[in-house]
Amino acid sequence: MSGGRRPDWLVIARREFLERVRTIWFLAVTALGPIGMIAIIVIPVLLARVNNGATVQIVDHTHALGAPLAEEFGKLGWKTEIVAETTDEPTLLGRIRDGSINGFLTVPSDAISGSGTIVYQGDNATNQLVTIMMWRINQQVVQHARGVAAGVDPAKLEHILTPVAIESKHTTGEASGSSAGAAFVLGYAVMFILYMAIILYAVNVMRSVVMEKTSRVVELMVAAAKPQALMMGKIIGVGAAGLVQIAAWMAMAVITITYRTQILGLFGVAGDGFTLPPLAWTDAVVIVLYFLLGYFFYAALYAALGAMVSSDQEAQQAQLPVTLLLLIPMLSMQVVANDPRGGAAEALTQIPFSSPILMPMRWLLGGSSGLDAAVSLGILAISTVFVTRLAGRIYRVGILMYGKRPSVREILRWLTY
Amino acid sequence: MTTDAVRVTGVTKRFADHVAVRDLSFTVPAGVVFGVLGPNGAGKSTTLRMVNDIIAPDGGEIRILDKFAPGRDAAPHIGYLPEERGLYPKMKVVDMLTFMAELRGVSIRDAKLRAGKWLERLGLTQWTRNKVQDLSKGMQQKVQFAAAVIHDPELVILDEPWSGLDPINAEVLREVVAEQKAAGRTILFSTHQMEQAEKICDHVCIIARGAKVLDGPLVDVKRAAVKDGLVALAFIDEAARAAAEPVLADRSLILARRPPRPGDTADLEVELAAGAAPEKLLRELVATGAAITRFEVVVPTLHQIFVERVGAENAAVAAHTDGAA
Repeated sequence: MSGGRRPDWLVIARREFLERVRTIWFLAVTALGPIGMIAIIVIPVLLARVNNGATVQIVDHTHALGAPLAEEFGKLGWKTEIVAETTDEPTLLGRIRDGSINGFLTVPSDAISGSGTIVYQGDNATNQLVTIMMWRINQQVVQHARGVAAGVDPAKLEHILTPVAIESKHTTGEASGSSAGAAFVLGYAVMFILYMAIILYAVNVMRSVVMEKTSRVVELMVAAAKPQALMMGKIIGVGAAGLVQIAAWMAMAVITITYRTQILGLFGVAGDGFTLPPLAWTDAVVIVLYFLLGYFFYAALYAALGAMVSSDQEAQQAQLPVTLLLLIPMLSMQVVANDPRGGAAEALTQIPFSSPILMPMRWLLGGSSGLDAAVSLGILAISTVFVTRLAGRIYRVGILMYGKRPSVREILRWLTY
Repeated sequence: MTTDAVRVTGVTKRFADHVAVRDLSFTVPAGVVFGVLGPNGAGKSTTLRMVNDIIAPDGGEIRILDKFAPGRDAAPHIGYLPEERGLYPKMKVVDMLTFMAELRGVSIRDAKLRAGKWLERLGLTQWTRNKVQDLSKGMQQKVQFAAAVIHDPELVILDEPWSGLDPINAEVLREVVAEQKAAGRTILFSTHQMEQAEKICDHVCIIARGAKVLDGPLVDVKRAAVKDGLVALAFIDEAARAAAEPVLADRSLILARRPPRPGDTADLEVELAAGAAPEKLLRELVATGAAITRFEVVVPTLHQIFVERVGAENAAVAAHTDGAA
């Protein structure tokens, strides 16, 4: 009987995998994930369009800028009205309050001749698009007026004020850089998917451990298999289900982003024609390796947490420290995106808590050398082995403890059993 | 041929603040129904958990089926019903059984066949594809028995098997135990319910406070207790009893008289004096001509032996340390 006997962890992993994959929820989430992704792309564009209209009144003390400003804003579809110079601020603020206008622009008399500040006050001033347009249109109109005042030939002035064409390409030395925006989107998407996947499945491991304790089925399990095999089997089984889901999502994400223009077209929105930077097989390997190691690292921590507590409620509280560890890389995302080759990015992608989430992004942005990645993977692999061992010890003792939550001292003693 | 199903030698287990099992030794011969008896907290569960390799002893040795230490090699040969019952609530009943068999070393295909057979045997065929959580508590208990024996283990370990069982399932369990015994398997179980143990045990080992009080075949244990000489008597009427009175008053034969135990049909019980044999008392009584309807050397129940040897006080002490065992 023992000759062809399969290892316990494999039997357990298979059960965990099938239990997850066979549910309606798994199918639903796997299928609905991409719908969410499409929504992420489409909804902001749609919302931005809805928001485009604005009603603005202009108080023009120069008697020259009001009309051209109103004309330019009109091109954006905004409703503008030049009001009497004597209209005082409280009146205008009152109009914002009662909702009859979004805001008002005060142009000081020395806006053309001197350096007076044009002030916009409005309920939509936090809107980035409004701020950008306000800045651009004022810039353009005032500079034009100044040129005219200085007696510059209108044709030359037109040329001088033509917006400069600028395009940024992302490269770390290769000849053909890709669009910076696209590289960022890809890096960000990968980071976000890894973060979601790690937190989703590692927490799932914890909940599953707690469930085994509360249903007492763990008694049956520990008699049939070693706790270590139980823990590894669970982590591997849940991870395999996660891998299937991520693979499905990644495939759909690539399709979504590749056909972004067409999808936006379906909703009647013009695409911006950006293309996804090509994903080399090395990139895929890096992403998968970091997912696997990162998942193992956090899943072991969460498994140990699950073993320490006796109920879902306790687990919610106990997981806070580990969740915070996961949040640090999320919040530091911008540091890596802004300067992928900088020292901070370097440090964050070597620390095992944050490297699984940030390194793939840094790698995709070209900030990491092969050596960097190898060292980071090495550190992560060693830490994962270490954490798994420790978690295994806590797990072994913890799963058979019910009731009182153990103190830190007790847990430290479990490590020595 | 296996001679000893389990051999426990000098086993000790300490927990943080107390000794759960102290230098415990006993042998479970192959093919018997062996009861580990004791009050709550005596160390029964701890002992069975050590045999199952759930916890490791601090000292001593455990051998299983003559050749295994507790652990993975022994696991396929052992079936276990833990005291704390539990199954995966979201698993289909048939998958649950198949999984447990597989974990104990049965191939998937074989495991599925066996799961089907057991569900049929326990009258649960129509629930095969239902989730465990859809089953009533009683049905889940049946599934748990099946999980303990589905891989045809040579050694079946049942920890407090009667706790929480309704009478019907208690009967199902006794049947399963009887079947397993008939098939040549060894059953090792723990209980504090002496009435249940008395019905099915071949061997007993009584433990209290983590240490052995006595062990041996149930018959021998009972015979040893009989030596103390207690005879239950009944007469056809008061006249017959009066006729026998001179013999009953003979201090060389009878040390003391006591009323019958509650529910017993005897008129009285007598304790024989030292050196007085029951047959001598019988001869003397017959000689008086009194009409005797009952003359029985009282064999104490297991419960009586247990209370006498362990002491009521011990059983009470044990109650509050129950959680640790």
